Amino acid sequence: MTKGKSFLKANKGFLFILPWLIGFLVFKMYPFASSLFYSFTEYNLFEPGSEFHFTLQNYKDVFINENERNALIVTFKYAFMTVPLKLVFALFIAYILNFKIKGVNFFRTAYYIPSILGGSVAIAVLWKALFKGDGLIHSFFGVFGIDAPNFLSDKHWALFIICLLRVWQFGSAMVIFLAALKGVPQDLYEAASLDGATKTQQFFHVTVPLITPVIFYNLVTQLVQAFQEFNGPYIITQGGPEGSTTLMSLLIYNNAFHTWEMGKASAQAWVLFIILMALTLVAFWSQKHWVYYADEES
Amino acid sequence: MKKKLVAAIMAATMAVTCLAGCGSSSSGSSSSDSKSESDNASIRFDWWGGDTRHEATQKAVTDFQKANPNIKVEVNFGAWDGWEAARALEYQSQTGSDLTQINFSWITDYDKGGSAFVDLNDYKDIIDLSQYDQSVLDMCKDSNGGLAGIPVSITGRTFFWNKTTFDKAGIDIPKSLDDLIAAGNTFKEKLGDDYYPLSLSTYDRALLMSFYLQANTGEPIIDESGKLTVTKDQLVDGVKFIQNLEDNHVMPSIATLQEDGDVALNENPKFIDGHYAGVFEWDTASPKYVSNLAEGQEFVVGTELTGLGDKCLGVSDKVSMLFAITKSSKSPKAAAKLLNYLVNDPEGVTTLGTERGIPASKAAYDTLSKAGAISDDMSTAHAEVVDSDPLYFSPKFDDASLKDSATGAYQDVFEKLSSGSYSVDEAGQKLFDAYNTVLAE
Amino acid sequence: MTNNSLTIEQAQAKIKRRRIISVTVRYIVLIVVGIIMLYPLIWMVGATFKTNAEIFTTLNPIPKNPTLQGYKDAMESYGGNINIWKALLNTYSYVIPEVVFTVISSVLTAYGFARFKFKGHDFLFTCMMAMLFLPQVVLNVPQYIMFNKFGWVGSKLYLPLIVPTLFATETYFIFMLIQFLRNIPKEMEEAAAIDGCNSFTTLIKVIVPMLMPAIVSCALFKFMWSSNDFMGPLLYVNTPAKYPATIFVKLSMDADTGFNWNRVLAISLISILPNICVFFAAQNQFVEGISAGGVKG
Repeated sequence: MTKGKSFLKANKGFLFILPWLIGFLVFKMYPFASSLFYSFTEYNLFEPGSEFHFTLQNYKDVFINENERNALIVTFKYAFMTVPLKLVFALFIAYILNFKIKGVNFFRTAYYIPSILGGSVAIAVLWKALFKGDGLIHSFFGVFGIDAPNFLSDKHWALFIICLLRVWQFGSAMVIFLAALKGVPQDLYEAASLDGATKTQQFFHVTVPLITPVIFYNLVTQLVQAFQEFNGPYIITQGGPEGSTTLMSLLIYNNAFHTWEMGKASAQAWVLFIILMALTLVAFWSQKHWVYYADEES
Repeated sequence: MKKKLVAAIMAATMAVTCLAGCGSSSSGSSSSDSKSESDNASIRFDWWGGDTRHEATQKAVTDFQKANPNIKVEVNFGAWDGWEAARALEYQSQTGSDLTQINFSWITDYDKGGSAFVDLNDYKDIIDLSQYDQSVLDMCKDSNGGLAGIPVSITGRTFFWNKTTFDKAGIDIPKSLDDLIAAGNTFKEKLGDDYYPLSLSTYDRALLMSFYLQANTGEPIIDESGKLTVTKDQLVDGVKFIQNLEDNHVMPSIATLQEDGDVALNENPKFIDGHYAGVFEWDTASPKYVSNLAEGQEFVVGTELTGLGDKCLGVSDKVSMLFAITKSSKSPKAAAKLLNYLVNDPEGVTTLGTERGIPASKAAYDTLSKAGAISDDMSTAHAEVVDSDPLYFSPKFDDASLKDSATGAYQDVFEKLSSGSYSVDEAGQKLFDAYNTVLAE
Repeated sequence: MTNNSLTIEQAQAKIKRRRIISVTVRYIVLIVVGIIMLYPLIWMVGATFKTNAEIFTTLNPIPKNPTLQGYKDAMESYGGNINIWKALLNTYSYVIPEVVFTVISSVLTAYGFARFKFKGHDFLFTCMMAMLFLPQVVLNVPQYIMFNKFGWVGSKLYLPLIVPTLFATETYFIFMLIQFLRNIPKEMEEAAAIDGCNSFTTLIKVIVPMLMPAIVSCALFKFMWSSNDFMGPLLYVNTPAKYPATIFVKLSMDADTGFNWNRVLAISLISILPNICVFFAAQNQFVEGISAGGVKG
């Protein structure tokens, strides 16, 4: 008892982080570890004792089972379409906004609104109204006499529409870019322009290198988000047509909460996690080749 | 001093939350055997359905409470979407409502060894079981032989046709498979490419395929011992039969249905305006179709199709819905009282009408038919099913891994078959594997 | 004629012309993109006042025959003992506690990490930072199993949603607060200590007021995220009467009642209206919050 007291006296800070520590252990570490355990079992929530039937099949299935492999491929496609489009768009618009633009606040707000609302179910519902077979976009093309495909029921289009929903929400990445661009010293541009660099050259040789840390930050956070996308496909397409929008997170949800195969779902989540970790590590490792940190120079 | 206070508050907060956790987990597992119920009881009752069912059931519950002032009933009702998962979990964690509306397949799925629902034979002094055929009650047994639920109605599938469209095409409504296939071609020629005599969702396709196979084998596709009675080759044949319907312009492809808005058939604009002139539905389903049809169209009850096979019609019927009392109920007697009120009591039965189908209870059926509360459409369709000498329908056919609209095999197989992603051989093989996985459990 | 022979005036005029062109192009791009960004939202607002027959037939967001039918239908109970107002009330009955608890627990944790040395400080700090990279998708299933064992799934008090926020589970906020704390000089705290404040009263009297902008940002973001959260309530709320707005909106789109798109869109719009208001009332805090977190990251 006194030992505990004196420990706390010497380590006051410990008391402040205690709630976090409990949360960390109970709501993060324990689930994390138990998930790894479940992933090697045939755990079905409705079959008592099944959590002790060990198997490797769950992991094999992710790569062998057609639907699971398909979900993995779809997830990659989704992430590699969404993230670059979103970042390029965000950077491009931030770049323009960074010129002395009248009404910059108005534009910034306009671009930012979709991001702040975009995660909501209401916006996914709106997206469905826009892109459904006889929806608004269809009538839009109709005005030009084009018979547009039925975006959401066409397996070649549906995933792209789900991507667009996230690309449309480039606002928060843009705001971050904009703040970084404002931090690029003006005299560097002046120097470059004296050397005869065009605006495009300035952008690629002065601006981009200086904001690489922020590009890196946006890249990693967007990647992590994209690999976990759920609301869009769940609400707009339910993973169809023909599984063409069944992202991993949707597959995990379906396995865990429709058929209660917790073991299988855990293994799928772990595969996704490992992929995500690997990509993040690659990003971190590649940093030294392209990310420029001002502090290191000084 | 203050530091200690903070620490104390934190510790207390944590203790309370932890206790709350342990408390609720242990309270759920209280045994259901110690039933010395007092007269005053508070029970919970849940069901899913549409608005009219909600209204009727709420009224019945209010009336019941008036008649039994010592029983307080708390209700929980909602739409089907997500309902099964939520209830399944409650049964599993012993936190379900006292009285609960269940599907036939839930007995095998969630009541393994009678773990979720009480044996209603124990309450036969409250629930009048004599109103039911023993053969019907036998279907509702759990694996230990206990009576898991009281069947509210028996139902089967038959055909309904939009007579106006058939008149336009100048042909009679189909009575046999040959008629139907001929109708497909007539529709295409006379009315146009976007007119079809029939429209089937993926699950409809699975059911119609089972009728076809059963008509050819004379046996239920999954028999009472839980054995698949067809071979892989027969399933390939069944899948071919379905694809043949699409090829002959009898029904639109799945992609076409998705383009229509991916909605339930009765909401499909092309059904509403008569382009899709037929449905294969539960015998009680006609009202939701009739009420949605555009004006000036006549919707008629058809007959079971002849000519699917040479052994029999191939029709099967099933218990469509049951009421069960959960094991965790602290007032099973009060719940049983409400159950009996809903299925057998003339007052309750009259209030509910045919909201849950045509009653399986003889007393309820008499009450309703005397009052003229069973519509002609419904009784014609019901008679069509009953008179077709229906075969046994295994709840395994509706197992979530087959029927689930997102992950089920029926969706996968029939969607990909329709688009050409699966050949008939692949589709047959997939179904064969899926059935074997389900039946192996 | 070569470029060399341009007069200064001509050269200046050329530069000016170029500038005008590039400025014009910029504005055109901004306006076009702005329209793409906002048009769906504006169309949505208009559509809620249209008849169902009109909604998809025209691109014009202004209704020809304005009607309130969509809103009237939106008020009705649907899919159980629930309507949009009750659903919103349900939403805020857990969002507000979540926001309050998250802020309190995150401030405590950030303060502990930023201002104190204790045994295992560095190790725990690394653990905390690592949580930024632990995706929720791995935690969903095991957390669900755990809450189910606690008997919290379907809890009428939204326990699985609220309780974790008592324990600073939103790592991003802790991280953001620590960044802010690092920029606050320690002199004030030292002065407070001399005045006899202990570490807790210092936190309340000195740190919290200075940290206020960051705290407001955290609260605002948590508010937005929680009220938009869909997966959480989808897993943990089982009773229609307890459904929050996100689930209710999804439910209103169910195939089995038919799509009255004006009703569906009206419900959707009502459900995000509080968020839109909060955003406009505090948009600078949002922008600052997100830039600060990002740039310093």
